[in-house]
Amino acid sequence: MIEINNLGFSYGPKAVLKNISMKVSEGNIYGLLGENGVGKTTLLTLLCGLKKPLEGTISVDGRDPFDRKPSLLSEQFYLPDEVSPVHAKAIDFAKEHGVFWPNFSLDLFKVILAEFEVEANQRMDAMSAGQLKKAWISFALACKAKYYYLDEPTNGLDIPSKAQFRKAVTKYTTEDSTLIISTHQVRDLENIIDPIIILDNQAVLVNASMQEITEKFYFDYGTEIQPGALYIEQTPGGCIQVYPNTTGEESKVNVEAFFNTVHAHKDLVKPMFNK
Amino acid sequence: MNETFNFSRFWTYFKYDLKQMWRNHSKAAILIGGASAIFYVLWLLFSLVFAQQWTTPPIAARVAVLILAFAILELYQVRTYGYLTEKKAGSSWLMVPASKAEKFVSMLLVTIIVIPLLFYAVYFLIDGFLSLVDPTYGTALFAGAFDAYRGLITGLSEISGGSPIELNATNLIFPSIVSVFCNFLYFLLCGICFKKNKLVGAIAILFGLSLLLSLLTGLVVPHFITDGTFFNIDMNDEMAIASFVTKIMNISVALTCILTIGLAWGVWYRIKTIQH
Repeated sequence: MIEINNLGFSYGPKAVLKNISMKVSEGNIYGLLGENGVGKTTLLTLLCGLKKPLEGTISVDGRDPFDRKPSLLSEQFYLPDEVSPVHAKAIDFAKEHGVFWPNFSLDLFKVILAEFEVEANQRMDAMSAGQLKKAWISFALACKAKYYYLDEPTNGLDIPSKAQFRKAVTKYTTEDSTLIISTHQVRDLENIIDPIIILDNQAVLVNASMQEITEKFYFDYGTEIQPGALYIEQTPGGCIQVYPNTTGEESKVNVEAFFNTVHAHKDLVKPMFNK
Repeated sequence: MNETFNFSRFWTYFKYDLKQMWRNHSKAAILIGGASAIFYVLWLLFSLVFAQQWTTPPIAARVAVLILAFAILELYQVRTYGYLTEKKAGSSWLMVPASKAEKFVSMLLVTIIVIPLLFYAVYFLIDGFLSLVDPTYGTALFAGAFDAYRGLITGLSEISGGSPIELNATNLIFPSIVSVFCNFLYFLLCGICFKKNKLVGAIAILFGLSLLLSLLTGLVVPHFITDGTFFNIDMNDEMAIASFVTKIMNISVALTCILTIGLAWGVWYRIKTIQH
């Protein structure tokens, strides 16, 4: 369980996160969404211990991540947006680096890498950006960590690899693994992320499961425009409309439309999820 | 789980660190260590081209190249762990599941023991090989170093015989080793602190500090040691001069030790507090 209480962080005089509080429960794949510059990457780096909170606290199973204690480091994996081109073959890197994670499996690394169609004997510093990302994703998943902090993991991946990423994440993470995935590519991940966290400038607008979202909002994929719609997006052959769910009828959440709804009606939406 | 220092985990980390060091810096270390061969080839080429003679570098030039190569190796320490300040590689290093103390000890061992040893091994091996294959090259520096050391000790005992100034292997070798550690740690610390212009920054600070310390030392220390009577030392009084020189030497060693410990603490503090 991750608990964040009154978290604050700033770069010089510019406050990025202020008074952020939330709980992240185990065994879920969280989608961390937000506009550019709201502090998604900052939050991830605070969670994994790369940064120290200036205000408030973070507790991961009762431990402060900034202590960078080996027990917690070996239970987590942080994958940045831009990964490091290691001067080694992928297989050698995995052998040498993996020994620090008690559950790391070299065989699993090879399997995931093969599924991504990347050669294990290829040098990582000679890989393309996409291949390098795939190698790091394979390594991360082969660590079988309890907590994953993935920053824009599908950036730079080609279309088949995005599907492969979704498959690998659901297949190779354990039931008690918690993933927090920061992304702008919501369409790449909307089938696997649940719950969703939407960050705004210095606030958590939403931290809710798909079930909670559908209880509160109805996603209409029809052609008839509804007068009370909070958000309307024209699509070929119809439109997506989002409006408050007054009937209790279930619908399939369109994450992008939901994000845009929240973005356009912050004052309305925030109290609905922060009671 | 011991969160502060676990020997098994440290050994795993140290091996990992050595592999990284070898992978990233072995070429540079071998190049610096191979300075004797480069110098030998250049000297030979020039003598063949311009004098049409087979001439090898004299011993004084070889010693000078050794000192120069070692100085370059010291400067190179800004690069050994310089990647810590890079966002990508630095983040990855920080997230390796080993304790800060283990990473710190490993970093110190690599910097002040492994790299100098690797350098000397490569340097003396190449130099020894050259002295074996080319009779005109002269004695290998390694063998010569032993003779020079023995000569120095004998000479010092003769000089200091009957004199109250204590000059021996301990108070000559120990300060030299501490001084080397101090230099390596200084450049290591600059490497892990400065994000850009690491070498220029390190040299600029060193220059500024040297200037400041020279001024302070020149002004303060003599008065402190001799209770204000520095300028009244009787230059014919051997005991007074010897006492003064011994004090200066002891203070210099003590200051170098304190500085070395301070720099090591700086490295530790940086490891503890670095953020990305």
